[in-house]
Amino acid sequence: MSQMQEELRQKAKELLEKGEVRYIIGWGKGRFHHRPPIFIYQAEDVDKLVWDEYCVANLGKYLLDDKFPEGKIGICVRGCDSRAVVRLVQDKQVKREDVCLIGLPCTGKVDQEGRELVKCRDCMHRNPPVYDIVLGEPVEEKGNPDRFKRVEELEKLSSDEKYEYWSNVFDKCIRCYACRNVCPACNCRECFVDQYRVGWQGKQKNCMQNQIFGLTRAYHIADRCIECGECERVCPVGLPLMELNRKLIKDLNSLFGPYEAGVNPDVKPPLGEYRLEDPEEYM
Amino acid sequence: MSLEEQKQVPENWEPTILAFCCNWCTYAGADLAGLNRMKYPENVRILRVPCSSRVNPQFILRAFQKGVDGVLVAGCHPGDCHYVSGNYFTRRRFLLMQRFLEYNGIDPRRFQARWISGAEAGKFRDTMLQLCEEIKELGPNRKLREVK
Ligand code: SF4
Ligand code: SF4
Repeated sequence: MSQMQEELRQKAKELLEKGEVRYIIGWGKGRFHHRPPIFIYQAEDVDKLVWDEYCVANLGKYLLDDKFPEGKIGICVRGCDSRAVVRLVQDKQVKREDVCLIGLPCTGKVDQEGRELVKCRDCMHRNPPVYDIVLGEPVEEKGNPDRFKRVEELEKLSSDEKYEYWSNVFDKCIRCYACRNVCPACNCRECFVDQYRVGWQGKQKNCMQNQIFGLTRAYHIADRCIECGECERVCPVGLPLMELNRKLIKDLNSLFGPYEAGVNPDVKPPLGEYRLEDPEEYM
Repeated sequence: MSLEEQKQVPENWEPTILAFCCNWCTYAGADLAGLNRMKYPENVRILRVPCSSRVNPQFILRAFQKGVDGVLVAGCHPGDCHYVSGNYFTRRRFLLMQRFLEYNGIDPRRFQARWISGAEAGKFRDTMLQLCEEIKELGPNRKLREVK
């Protein structure tokens, strides 16, 4: 780890000194085990960059704060960050030529007690699929044989049991919208929940409104979710949001063929296109 | 409200069904059904949309929220879309949406989609009859509903 960190700082220094990037987005040292995102503008600041097992946050979303950059943005990418950037480029939120991706193969991150994060346990792309520079050696992909296990279990319940399960889940939601704020697939200029005048989303905090929010959030990003698991990680009440996202991903795969968002920049999201021979149930 | 309470059917209850009909095919089909004096249940409320792909999945959630018991989205047959390809997007979108709603505990019969052309007045009537029958069997929808 520490050797990679050294390499990262070296590379960052080089990029900044040569003026190839205007600044670099990476992780810095926060209090205790926190590694908040930091923005490095000066070559002499590169020692603030940290790369260790606590670098948890997905950095992709921070590109949205600077959509028209003067010069390139360097950004550290693990598998999940890289996929997030690909998604943003596909959505035309970020220009590929505006970013320089510094790839960091990743072996999973841990929480403050040293337990592997759920999102890393389920990760299927530890090596960045897209990058400009890559540091260190590629790591072995471990796959995720249990990817849809939980979804399949839930599918077996009856309608009423399902509804009860999900109402209990959404009853707890406090509508902080943290799941939306952190999500690199959620990049609408104005989110439906903020369109007060249109009134898609009621302001009341009750189970029904929470459900409307939860369902719309998940469905809206159905073919964009990169399975980074950030939504579930940041949810303050620990709702199993990936069970919703994965259901959509599972069905997209079985209906319209294999698809993984943000892995290949040339593959279009399935809801944005169609094939004449798609399944037909509406005759 | 518990699930048991939710199941109770009030006396003289009649379902409310919302049908999103595409202007170019299904709406014309409904018109033709009217011209031919065909009878279909008055529970169906028709909402004309320019194309079946105009129907945002959120409209459906919204309809359930506001107290509708069943929703139908109907448009031109594949290949016949006035805008060339709108209904192909509809198809993808709602194939996924139906499964998603089912996963969340909404009976799949409550949200359906059909292709009905401007000449298929009979199919329009039959679809409405069938839908109405299925919803009556299911009883009032209280899932996702904000009003009692
Ligand atoms: S929905 Fe969750 S897992 Fe999917 S991209 Fe957004 S934050 Fe990541
Ligand atoms: S992060 Fe959790 S509590 Fe907050 S809005 Fe999302 S689901 Fe609800």
